[in-house]
Amino acid sequence: MTEAHLELHSVTASPVMPIIDPALDPKIAVTGLDFYYQTGHHALKNINLNIADKCVTAFIGPSGCGKSTLLRVLNRIYDLYPGQRATGEVLVDGENILAPGYDVTRLRAKVGMVFQKPTPFPLTIWDNIAFGINLYEKLSKPDMDNRIEWALRKAAIWEEVKDKLKRSGTGLSGGQQQRLCIARAIAVKPEVILMDEPCSALDPISTARVEELILELADDYGIVLVTHNMQQAVRTADFTTFMYLGEIIEFGETEQIFSNPREQRTQDYVTGRFG
Amino acid sequence: MTAMQTGGLGQSTAASQQIVRKRLRTNRIVTTLAFLATGAGLFLLAWILGYLLFKGFTTLSLSLFIMDTPPPGSAGGLANAILGSLLITGVGILLATPIGILAGTFLIEYGRGSTLAEIIRFVNDMLVSAPSIIVGLFVYQVVVAPMHHFSGWAGAIALGIIALPIIVRTTQDMLQLVPDALREAAYALGAPKWRVIVVVSYRAAFQGMLTGVLLAVARISGETAPLLFTALSNPSSTTNMSSPMATLPVVIYKFAGAPYADWQNLAWAGALLITFSVLILNVVARSFAPRSRN
Repeated sequence: MTEAHLELHSVTASPVMPIIDPALDPKIAVTGLDFYYQTGHHALKNINLNIADKCVTAFIGPSGCGKSTLLRVLNRIYDLYPGQRATGEVLVDGENILAPGYDVTRLRAKVGMVFQKPTPFPLTIWDNIAFGINLYEKLSKPDMDNRIEWALRKAAIWEEVKDKLKRSGTGLSGGQQQRLCIARAIAVKPEVILMDEPCSALDPISTARVEELILELADDYGIVLVTHNMQQAVRTADFTTFMYLGEIIEFGETEQIFSNPREQRTQDYVTGRFG
Repeated sequence: MTAMQTGGLGQSTAASQQIVRKRLRTNRIVTTLAFLATGAGLFLLAWILGYLLFKGFTTLSLSLFIMDTPPPGSAGGLANAILGSLLITGVGILLATPIGILAGTFLIEYGRGSTLAEIIRFVNDMLVSAPSIIVGLFVYQVVVAPMHHFSGWAGAIALGIIALPIIVRTTQDMLQLVPDALREAAYALGAPKWRVIVVVSYRAAFQGMLTGVLLAVARISGETAPLLFTALSNPSSTTNMSSPMATLPVVIYKFAGAPYADWQNLAWAGALLITFSVLILNVVARSFAPRSRN
């Protein structure tokens, strides 16, 4: 299954030359980013990175390397925890999201997030999706129904839940819950979706479905994927960033990172010598 | 079973079998002790309930619910006390619930980790275990004395003060159980804080919070001491919260100690009513209690 998947992807998503150069037209441009935890821990050091639209960009690296921290800067979810601090510049569509006075709500409408563990709200499946939509739009009931169906179809879960929209989202299986969460993120029509190890709590079959979904979603959204699983990066990502001890060691096309890394540490990590 | 299989793989089967036997023996002893302890608790409970049924059941009749407490020697019921208990407990809970839930919300959703929250938490835990007679004396001083008379309001305030810390505590505990990941997920959609609290946190903690309120009702509906100083008693039914009001616990206290047989019988019937109401409330609260998900 995985082998086939890998081949399929390398045929479809890796044309002869790079699809786009993220540096030329970045959706997100990170410059000189440093991040400190409340304890004073310097978790990200001088991060410079360009993330392209409509591509999958994977962050890989050993535990504690800062890949999740970096992801959590991109929608400023770290704001919830007083004492965590980011300095530098993160441009989303050319606007610095770290600038004082930047409207976080607008950012989060544009940059959605899916978490490691599925996080369905203790509401019905319908209400789970409607929750996000209601924050930004006042839709009539038929429009809302349409939007919810659209989001659930887009997240490849419509067929499984269309008859139980009024049942609780927490009653679904882990894989279904995660796709419900993806649908919930899509429903507010974001432009970028951040995924923090979205498959680490899922079984192999659910993982394969979510990975397929990631590839499909990359046609319409910029996707940033944190993963512990190097094979997952190979299967899904157009670009891969290898991080170590709070620094970006290497960034490049996924194929290059895994087959022909420039840095020795990248080589050691992707070949399983450490991490 | 597993232990035996694992032991069988070891070198010394005899030694491992001895270990297994020893563990089984310890297990039997502890199980027996646990059963005995449970049995002792249940026995006492059954004894109390049985005795109450035996003593109170004969007085149970319709007149208990429609007639007021009588003077010694004449027929009567507990209507004024039942009505008073319902009103005072109800108003007390209505006073305590919003304050308690908001305070618990502050402790978890807003003040988490702050010194102020830590102080409130500590004081609240002290208030949970404050003797109820002190609450009664306090309300006597600040409500009854300035008003120059006992009143249902004073009783409700006293019971509310007793219910408050219980509700704060359960709200706090239940909100604490809501995973942060759930809150983060809501914030990540761009939701404002109040919406995250109302739609996500409260919804996730609802059953537990409701259980807390019901347990607080059960707790205060049996309180006597604070009512002696506040609502006192009233020989006739009234819905006027500004006048003294009879309540079941106070009537039981007064009638059970009296030398008249019919008063004592009424006290037993009142005790039976209150105990079974509390029992039913607890059972209802349990049925609402959060069951483990998945």
